[in-house]
Amino acid sequence: MTSIKILLSGEGGQGIQTIAKILSNAAYDDGYQVSYIPSFGVEQRGTPSVAFLTITRDRIYYPRFETADYVIILQKRAIAKIKQYIGSNTKIIFDSSTMKSSDLGNHSRFVYGMPATKYAIQNFNPKSFNLIITGKLSHILGLSETSVWHEIEKVLKSKFKDDKIRKSCEGAYLFGRKAIFETRTFSKPDYGPSRHKIAVRGFDKRAIILPERCKGCGICIEKCPVKALAFGETLGVYATPVPDIDLEKCINCGLCKQFCPDAAIYVEKESKAENRK
Amino acid sequence: MDKLIPESWNIASKPHLFCPGCGHAITLKHLGYLIDYLKIDKKLVFGIDIGCSLLAWNFFNSDTIQTHHGRTTPVMVGLKMADKSRIAIAYMGDGGAYAIGLQSLLHAAFRNDPITVIVINNENYAMTGGQMSPTTPDGEITTTSPKGKEGKFGPAFHGPELVAQVANEKAYVARATVSKPVELQRILLEAIRNQTEKNSFAFVEVLSICPTNWKTNAKSSFDHLKMMEAEFPRGVIKKAEVR
Repeated sequence: MTSIKILLSGEGGQGIQTIAKILSNAAYDDGYQVSYIPSFGVEQRGTPSVAFLTITRDRIYYPRFETADYVIILQKRAIAKIKQYIGSNTKIIFDSSTMKSSDLGNHSRFVYGMPATKYAIQNFNPKSFNLIITGKLSHILGLSETSVWHEIEKVLKSKFKDDKIRKSCEGAYLFGRKAIFETRTFSKPDYGPSRHKIAVRGFDKRAIILPERCKGCGICIEKCPVKALAFGETLGVYATPVPDIDLEKCINCGLCKQFCPDAAIYVEKESKAENRK
Repeated sequence: MDKLIPESWNIASKPHLFCPGCGHAITLKHLGYLIDYLKIDKKLVFGIDIGCSLLAWNFFNSDTIQTHHGRTTPVMVGLKMADKSRIAIAYMGDGGAYAIGLQSLLHAAFRNDPITVIVINNENYAMTGGQMSPTTPDGEITTTSPKGKEGKFGPAFHGPELVAQVANEKAYVARATVSKPVELQRILLEAIRNQTEKNSFAFVEVLSICPTNWKTNAKSSFDHLKMMEAEFPRGVIKKAEVR
């Protein structure tokens, strides 16, 4: 085969560099020549993260490329950074459960959707969406199933704290290998970050949670003295779960507001006079 | 009006660039409440350093200066000399304050320059990937000390204690922690007032959490912070006697 140039793009924290590392190691073990250049900003989370991968049987003379053969987009905010690498024959693979196909613009004739986040949340664990993408990519590249899984185990060893996580990750990876791309009709982007405001009204208090600011750090849940908070279904700005509040339990101590680094949660007392209005 | 965030925060730049669960953001939130309370958002000049603190470049609706590594203290001293009506807050990390910028910090404390210095101590160089820093305690594992910090690199650096040794008698030196937000707010308030009312130097170290580089979740971050609080005693270390 001739060389395959792959551009992986997403956001810091999504595992872009991990996918690239796994694929390049596995391809090298399978006897290919590989080059991998990571590119990301100074922030460790929430800014575009890009990986340039070249996989070939020949010698690689120069690792950078102008036009990619495959562009993988896992986050809408990364599109602006990688637009220039999309040519008319570039195949675009995007997460159709978090992005609309119209977000991509008219750059390429070949657009494939993979609702990885949807599959991961429904069948496996929410963080395993990148393994579904890894599985699909390794299948496209013709890398052997065992060598890629071996590599995943090696890289993610510290993340596999118990057998259950390992099993669900292996399931996600194997599912990804067999998953079929969506063409023309894509899934609805229901699994993207929520933009609305969550307002919960209790008997004498009112809670406001802003998913567009919540990064899912879990400090409010940890600091709540009566355990009125727990991760819910809604997804925040980094596609992490946003806490749900149980106002029956809430004692309005205000600790969640004190500790939230992103100012995304607020509980206030409503006086009876205000209620009457 | 948005009741969630301090009025002094720049809403357009939110969600901010700090990692999920960052202690910087908790500190800046309480600083934001104080700016609202003291109504100093027009007078404030916020100086930030290289490192994670620079991610706060558009955090407030106030004037912000981004300086070279460790040079936030002298830049804010110069600014205060030029315009005494402004309130100068130098905001930096432990690498900037204790490793590269220590002499500037010590001399500002020695000369009693009327600025407020806030140092965020998270025991590592967080922006570059969690390398060992002066404040890393003995035996702690970082990316440049994979077997734990060895004794030859010295124990954890106690900044406020050192600054208190050389600081002018009017200076205010304290250490706070993000796990005690009320105390954090009180200490920050006293530090700002030491500048505005007593025209003196103030230095606050804030023990902070770094979930990304410590590789911890919310619970174990605060457990780690508890260990830090045992290593670094919090509270007011130096304060001018009231006469």
